[in-house]
Amino acid sequence: MNKTDEFIPTSLYPAKTKRTISIAFIVVIGFYLVSSITTESFIINFFLKLGNITDLVGRFFPPDWGYVNNVWPKLFETIHMAIIATTIAVIISVPFCLLAAHNITTNKWLYNSMRMILNIIRTIPDIILAVVFVGLFGIGVFSGIIALIIFAVGILVKLMSEIIEAIDMHPSEAIRASGGNTIQTIWYAVVPQILPQFISFSLYVFEINIRASVVLGLVGAGGVGQLINKEINFLNYPAVSTIVLIIFAVVVVIDWISGKLREGLV
Amino acid sequence: MIEFKNLSLVYPNGNEGLKNINIKINEGEFVVIVGLSGAGKSTFIRSVNRLVTPTDGELIVDGEDILTHNGKSLRELRKKVGMIFQSYNLVKRSTVLKNVIAGRLGYTGTFRSIFNMYPKEDMELAYENLKRVNIENKLYSRADELSGGQQQRVSIARVLTQKPKVILADEPVASLDPPTSHQVMKYLKQINQEDNITTIVNLHFIDMAMEYADRIIGMRAGEVVYDGPASEVTEKTFEEIYGRTIREDDIRGGEVNE
Repeated sequence: MNKTDEFIPTSLYPAKTKRTISIAFIVVIGFYLVSSITTESFIINFFLKLGNITDLVGRFFPPDWGYVNNVWPKLFETIHMAIIATTIAVIISVPFCLLAAHNITTNKWLYNSMRMILNIIRTIPDIILAVVFVGLFGIGVFSGIIALIIFAVGILVKLMSEIIEAIDMHPSEAIRASGGNTIQTIWYAVVPQILPQFISFSLYVFEINIRASVVLGLVGAGGVGQLINKEINFLNYPAVSTIVLIIFAVVVVIDWISGKLREGLV
Repeated sequence: MIEFKNLSLVYPNGNEGLKNINIKINEGEFVVIVGLSGAGKSTFIRSVNRLVTPTDGELIVDGEDILTHNGKSLRELRKKVGMIFQSYNLVKRSTVLKNVIAGRLGYTGTFRSIFNMYPKEDMELAYENLKRVNIENKLYSRADELSGGQQQRVSIARVLTQKPKVILADEPVASLDPPTSHQVMKYLKQINQEDNITTIVNLHFIDMAMEYADRIIGMRAGEVVYDGPASEVTEKTFEEIYGRTIREDDIRGGEVNE
């Protein structure tokens, strides 16, 4: 009895936990070192080559303001792409949202296969989608739009199916109990509960699409990205910085408007 | 008329919800089912509109065995059997009127209901029923702006709008305070008498059961352990049904002052 009374813990954690943490720490450091040595990239290079960076950044300035008028048509093309892709993605995603929510799709087989398809779609980066569709449909806006639609459907369905799974199911029990069919139950008891979030997420996906469509242009999928790609190849850096500044301003304005609209909804 | 013939229900997890029930409920009766939670009251009531499906026996509603119903015939049954829930089950973001008109969904085509194309008679019926429960001035309020008692009255109006032959009420006053509870029970009783709608209510408050019921059915562990007119029921009967002495929380109290 006395012996246990004299025991004073020397550590907040048991020895076993400490050992596990130490081993994990060594393993992580080991992985980092192996990766760095095999790829010959050391983070210290960032500081050693700081001179190159300032040199390159210097070439971007001052921006070529005379170039501004060349930017608008392509920039609007980017915005149009985002609008078309978001609208179509929103419509397409509706049935898939319902099929990927386990409280609506009670058939386990259908629900699981739906989830699996969506997980596969979401693992494909938007830029890869764009490369594939540029290969299929040729360089231009259309390929970009198709890539954006698939990308946006993946995000929307993921977000919305989780919202649907969190709704209150009592009202739909009442609608079913009064003789409503499946579509009526969804329309009367599910839709009113999710509509504000659905609109909010649609605007959010529109913001993402604007930014994504800029990047997609780099692989030839239309829009202002294509312009950036061209000017970089011509080493016309002042023009590039003009484009980047304009994109920055426009994206900030669109995000702000969409953010304000979403605030009003939820 | 509703008739339970050797009706049993075993849940997939092996729990016996109902054990060999034999009961006949006559048209226009106001029946209160009493019992502790878990006694099978809810399963009993939800069998009648097939929100749960009994696994054995027969359940005759309006001359048909309802256990074989599915799809269209099941929706036809549910048009005849309205239901009121403990948590009101209104769509909170929708208006009172939209919640009430939902009672017509069984009678309305999918396309017409999506575009809110209801006949004038349906709108009139919905509004008349709101008047019956004295809540017509909240017509365009959102359901979540109303108090619990008001929401339960809206759900009564919704049930009336489907013109049912039977009303089932699953613990309709369990979430309400005593005066509001009496108000809701009075509406149910009044509708039962004026429209001759068979009404089955689950309650666990013994004083309310004795006050409003024509007939009381007592349940314990999935079995009917008492069945008789409300006038013959005493506290002793409840002690037998519950299998223990009566406690304070078995009594609602607080008669409404009107």
